[in-house]
Amino acid sequence: MDESMKRLLQRLVRRIPAQMLKTTLEKCVRLTASQQRSVEVLQPKWAFTETLLDICEENGWTVKHVTKLEMTCFMDNPNQGMWYAFQLVDPEDDAHAVELMQFKEKFKYHLKDLVRPVSIKIKKHTDEAVWIRIAWGDGFSPPNHLKPTYVVHYLQTPYVFVTNLTSKRKPLLCQALVLSTRHQIIKDANLSGRKLTAVRDLLMKQYQQAFPIKYPSPLAERHETVSNPHIEKEQAESASKRFQMACEAFGDGMLPQLQTSIYKLETKFRDHTNKTMTDREKPFRCVVKFESTNLLESLRSCASSGIASTPVTPLLSSIPLKGRNYFVVTDNTPGPASQTRQPLD
Amino acid sequence: MDGASATGVMSHLSLLEAKTTGRKAQPVQRSRVSELRAEVEALSARRDNLKAEIETYKLQKIRSLMDQQSTHEDEEELGEDSEILELLRLMARHEQLKDLLYAHHIIGGYDIVKTHQGKGVCLLLTTSYQGVFLETYNLEIDLKPTLRISRHNVPPFIPLKSLEEQSSFQTDLRTFLDVLGQHLNAFAGRKQQLKFVKELHPSVEVMESNVLCSKLVMMFTVPTEKTAVLCSLDYTDHTKCLPTRVVLESEDNEALPDSPEWKNFHSLLMNTPVHQVLITMKEMGIIV
Repeated sequence: MDESMKRLLQRLVRRIPAQMLKTTLEKCVRLTASQQRSVEVLQPKWAFTETLLDICEENGWTVKHVTKLEMTCFMDNPNQGMWYAFQLVDPEDDAHAVELMQFKEKFKYHLKDLVRPVSIKIKKHTDEAVWIRIAWGDGFSPPNHLKPTYVVHYLQTPYVFVTNLTSKRKPLLCQALVLSTRHQIIKDANLSGRKLTAVRDLLMKQYQQAFPIKYPSPLAERHETVSNPHIEKEQAESASKRFQMACEAFGDGMLPQLQTSIYKLETKFRDHTNKTMTDREKPFRCVVKFESTNLLESLRSCASSGIASTPVTPLLSSIPLKGRNYFVVTDNTPGPASQTRQPLD
Repeated sequence: MDGASATGVMSHLSLLEAKTTGRKAQPVQRSRVSELRAEVEALSARRDNLKAEIETYKLQKIRSLMDQQSTHEDEEELGEDSEILELLRLMARHEQLKDLLYAHHIIGGYDIVKTHQGKGVCLLLTTSYQGVFLETYNLEIDLKPTLRISRHNVPPFIPLKSLEEQSSFQTDLRTFLDVLGQHLNAFAGRKQQLKFVKELHPSVEVMESNVLCSKLVMMFTVPTEKTAVLCSLDYTDHTKCLPTRVVLESEDNEALPDSPEWKNFHSLLMNTPVHQVLITMKEMGIIV
């Protein structure tokens, strides 16, 4: 087994928790009884790595097997690194009929046309997501399996989620995606986050949203909590109104976990007490960044507790409404403008 | 807190303390409390009774008005009460319309409610399949300056934008809602069929499906012929729950799909929900 394989395997084992590797091994490959036993023995990570390397040698595994293992582990645990969302625009007439085999063939063909050598692996997840693992090489070097790009796409939807893509390779991937999904343009959706599930749920609208309804269902009564009848809350009505507006702006129940929201301001400085700054003709450029472990949850509680005024300002409610967390705010537009951000690096 | 007010508070508190410890009238207090409680209960019961009486009287009056054939004589008799009569008629009509809207809601028609002080509306669309209510979808629409969908929870594989263009959204909202309803109901139906295939027929392997449920590829095991049959269903009409194309293929026995039995199944799959066809095929022993 050559050095690059050893390094790849070592890096793989280092990144993934041992338990996950064990379960994935059992799922993906057939181990002999003695190999199975050696894997199950409780041992420190470095010893486990050695065990795995031995198994690789014994079974004559190639890079293909190891990358398959890596991909399966990553698909089960995708919330690592930064995920960026892209949107496919202007579908052709047959975009809606693109099926899996067609997409796979076309994508491989187009990407291989643009860059060689390249290692592409495409797999369908149980939730209908198409996962693509790309190891990039160029004319001088073989595919780099240590830094693969992962792409997730649901056919018949306009969204593509990408992680670990350099700006150099971005146009190549975009071209291949546009051709294989039968669209004309792909653009930055201005949404990024550490959790694939959060970014996906926000764009695919797979979280519980709140709407004003005429006949509340019997289940809606869960909101009514039995409070002490001797205590009358003075502010109860306005509090429930704020809560309702906060839920309508951000959603009900569990919200997708975004971590940041960035506003790039290109507006004129406005402060009556500071004449020098206000008199400047050029816009005052600054960037406002909100950070949190669960941004939407914290914004919702800001609105319902009254810290943020209700009705919720479009600057904040645009995050779930438009499904983006990067905005450029200028003076001419009443709300956040749409502009693409700088290329990824 | 400055010293003077602090002592003021402290002395007040000690006065109150002295008062309570000095009280001898406590037993009398307690019986007074229970008396008052009983009175409160009696009064609330009386209030509830009176409220119920008003309601029944109102309903009776309204019902009699609605059943009544109004003749001139009656109107002249009740001449003085004509205003009250008119008011009661309007209340009756209001109740009737409310019941009608509720009935529309129960049968799965769409609900509409005003938002933003009349500047917008919010619609609720329900989906159902084979008599079972499934998901609901909401659309918030701004009315001014033109009709515009501002917020919704329709999944992205239902092409809202192109449906808007197709069915002249601005001028004819009802047509748009009908078409959207068709797409959503058909999607819910196909999704339900896929769910049944996976749950009720675990021996049938689902090889391919997608989020829109517009393509389904299954592998049947045919024990009598000792072969496998690949069945591809294409649902290209997204407003329908039945496939537009069915392809049956067998690698080992290429002539099998052309046999009269399997041609029968082909037409069955085109006209009947797939999970029901699988039940039939299983009962006939054709597939495992």
